[in-house]
Amino acid sequence: MNENGKAPAGKVLDAILHLLDRQIKDTEGLVVSVVDDLEISLPDDGRTLDADAEAPMLTNLLMGPTLATRLFGGQPPPERMMRIPWSDVARVGTVLELRNRAEGLPVRWVEHWLRDHVIARIPGGRHDPE
Amino acid sequence: MKRLLGVALGILTAIGGFVDIGDLVTNSVVGARFGMGLAWVVVIGIIGICAFAHMSGRVAAVSGRATFEIIRERLGARAAGANLLASFFINLMTVTAEVGGIALTLQLASSITYLAWIPVAAFFVWLVVWRVKFKILENVTGLLGLCLVAFAVALFQLGPNWLDLAGQALNPTVPGNESPWTYWYYAVALFGAAMTPYEVFFFSSGAIEEKWGPKDVAQSRINVLVGFPLGGLLSLAIAACAAVVLMPQGITVSSLSQVVLPVAEAGGKIGLIVVLVGILAATFGAALETTLSSGYTLAQYFGWTWGKRHRPAEAARFHVSMIATLLVGIAILATGVDPVMVTELSVVFSAVALPLTYVPILVVANDPQYMGDAVNGRFLNGLGTIYLVIILAAAIAAIPLMVITGAGA
Repeated sequence: MNENGKAPAGKVLDAILHLLDRQIKDTEGLVVSVVDDLEISLPDDGRTLDADAEAPMLTNLLMGPTLATRLFGGQPPPERMMRIPWSDVARVGTVLELRNRAEGLPVRWVEHWLRDHVIARIPGGRHDPE
Repeated sequence: MKRLLGVALGILTAIGGFVDIGDLVTNSVVGARFGMGLAWVVVIGIIGICAFAHMSGRVAAVSGRATFEIIRERLGARAAGANLLASFFINLMTVTAEVGGIALTLQLASSITYLAWIPVAAFFVWLVVWRVKFKILENVTGLLGLCLVAFAVALFQLGPNWLDLAGQALNPTVPGNESPWTYWYYAVALFGAAMTPYEVFFFSSGAIEEKWGPKDVAQSRINVLVGFPLGGLLSLAIAACAAVVLMPQGITVSSLSQVVLPVAEAGGKIGLIVVLVGILAATFGAALETTLSSGYTLAQYFGWTWGKRHRPAEAARFHVSMIATLLVGIAILATGVDPVMVTELSVVFSAVALPLTYVPILVVANDPQYMGDAVNGRFLNGLGTIYLVIILAAAIAAIPLMVITGAGA
């Protein structure tokens, strides 16, 4: 509901219920990550918004180190955050579907590192199961 | 005809895959100490695992979401993280117990110490997880597990007083030399052995691995509703064998050789060979399922690509976590800790952890956002609610009973 008492156009999403901790999949249906936290556009100085300020917008889905700080408090330095821009999200259902492919997204660097340095070096690591 | 074969195969696999090291050891221990006096717990456990295995498979097929994804979505990162810690720890204990079970079986067959068999067993478990297709690993271990029918055959060969056994089962009493505390402690252990949480992780993730649709749900319902109860009969046969042979001689079960003693006595060498093949298949199958479950739970919580339908290189973190789990299991067993004791502890801790898995499944099975119009019917919800009470009671009672009885001593 906005200030005119009308329901906003489109789908209403509860950030905690429908976005946080949901799986993110790419166009191929491959799991990219889980939404570990959300980033919203708020003034940096932490002052409270007055009535005519611009409404905060959901800007990014956050992944990785933010999980630890969400659980135990604190905030990781911004350069350590792994982000997927909200504009890349194509559809919100029981999973969030992206517009693009997962390959090459920075979120997956641990996956890529382990693949290249461990799994691919073990015989059979690149073959389909038989 | 092909469909009929598929149904038969599914049922046979469910029977052979039902029993694992936890069921083997716990049923034998209980049979030797309490006769058939705890058979009612096995029956309650079987009905429960039927209801929840089917529910979790259906949730996975309809919503496309596996159990631990749902747990994280419903409980949030923090509570689900605590849940993951507990579930993963108990699953690790079960992996350790199953690998130890494989090694103990190979020791019985070869008289080479089980400690030497541990790395061999873990290596082959890893190799199958690494290279073999999901469907094959499930079917082969399930079918070979049918050799456990040797326990039922042995029971007939022993020619027990059936009326006496039925009497023990229908009028359960605590034997004079046992306290009610140990009786209830083993009731909780048997319940935990029948309803181990990994079966739910494995079942729901397997439904996604095999890309289940509504037709497969119908097939799975038959597999579960026919296969699991028949598998449960094997559990009862194990307990009955112990009740007939071990209890009168006052033998308490503390090793795998005592578990198979009744079969050796009744069926001789052939019986022993068949039952060892069955135990090997059952423990190996369960070792595969628990190892996969450790990868499933971690990957689903953290949002890694998971599953045997991918090449290992496409699910690197999933495979690394399973390798790490097996290595930790080897390390635990290498300390010389008795695998039978690990098994006994793992079933009790399974009972403690049951609500962590079963409550979210029951909640989501009723959530139209996930299930559309395929939410639970009234019957399944009624059953689910009754089991919620039983599961909570067992979980709360488990640790106090363990302390009071000194782990059933």
